[in-house]
Amino acid sequence: MFYLSRIEHTFRVPPSLLSLPIEEAVKGELERLFLDKVIANLGLCVSVYDIKSIEGGFIFPSDGAATYTVVFRLIMFRPFVGEVIAAKLKESNATGLRLSLGFFDDIYIPVHLLPNPSRFKPDPNKRDKGMWEWEYGGEPYVIDGIDEIKFQVHNVSYPPIPIEKPKEAKPFAPMVITGSINDDGLGPISWWVGAEQTDES
Amino acid sequence: MKSLEANAGALTNFEVLNFLRSKGAAKDSTRVLAKVAPSEYKVYDYLVQSAACKQTRENINEFLERCKKYDLAKAEVLNIINIRPSSAVEIYSIVEECEKRFGDAVEELVELVENVLPPPLIELKPEGIDEGKEETANIDGGKDEPATGEQMDGS
Repeated sequence: MFYLSRIEHTFRVPPSLLSLPIEEAVKGELERLFLDKVIANLGLCVSVYDIKSIEGGFIFPSDGAATYTVVFRLIMFRPFVGEVIAAKLKESNATGLRLSLGFFDDIYIPVHLLPNPSRFKPDPNKRDKGMWEWEYGGEPYVIDGIDEIKFQVHNVSYPPIPIEKPKEAKPFAPMVITGSINDDGLGPISWWVGAEQTDES
Repeated sequence: MKSLEANAGALTNFEVLNFLRSKGAAKDSTRVLAKVAPSEYKVYDYLVQSAACKQTRENINEFLERCKKYDLAKAEVLNIINIRPSSAVEIYSIVEECEKRFGDAVEELVELVENVLPPPLIELKPEGIDEGKEETANIDGGKDEPATGEQMDGS
């Protein structure tokens, strides 16, 4: 789920930070640059883990700030395909489920990765919202968002930044996880509590 | 920006939580004073209610040692530590081709998980905030070392 990534970056440290020790100033700038941002193919940056080296400190002509080349490590949130993660339900509509980890919301479970057979029950009070139901052994199992949902990572994609945004489009998500709950042990955790005996038979 | 090494080692949830704790993240009112960004707090809030909240370095090392005989892939071990499956059916989704590789040894593995990795908090009740505070304080005091320990090599 979390990985370290070693990165080299060259950036300017504004003179307003001159009063700080160099490590602190560089760390502050790195946090400002990378924290809570997605780097394509590396994932979502959670934290600056450590700083390996700081080099340079050149002041380029007509620039009133020092430029440093820094090697550092970041903690990245980057799930691998096949990983099982516990998340909370955020949205449920006819196209599937949307789950959230609190710090990351772009997790989608499309209809074909829901357990089979699943049915969608629209909510009459709310437009295009509703609940999904899995029918197993003649009994309906509802995905109601009360307990945590375990899903398996099916795919992680980093869509390119759109040049022109169509009107009324969803906000752009730089990293999208597609998940599956169509397997034993996946889905709301309450489904599998005490399921042992029935499974064995 | 130049990426020198995309995968410089995998971290368990516990290690990330420990790192954030060593930065001063905690579950009480001092959070505005700590040098922790709001986005880091979101990660902390997720981890502190996950299975990682009560794990210790010793627990994990012991588990790593004792699960060697099962010949699990590194990613699978990592996933088991993060999720802490408490029944066989939860292991099926984590371990690939579980039936073929394990057969009946799954139950043994579940037992090992239950014995070695501590169970997570069931629920932090709103009225139990004081209790929770004490607990996190204890955990903090227990291991204040910076998170530069071992990492699992996930490559």
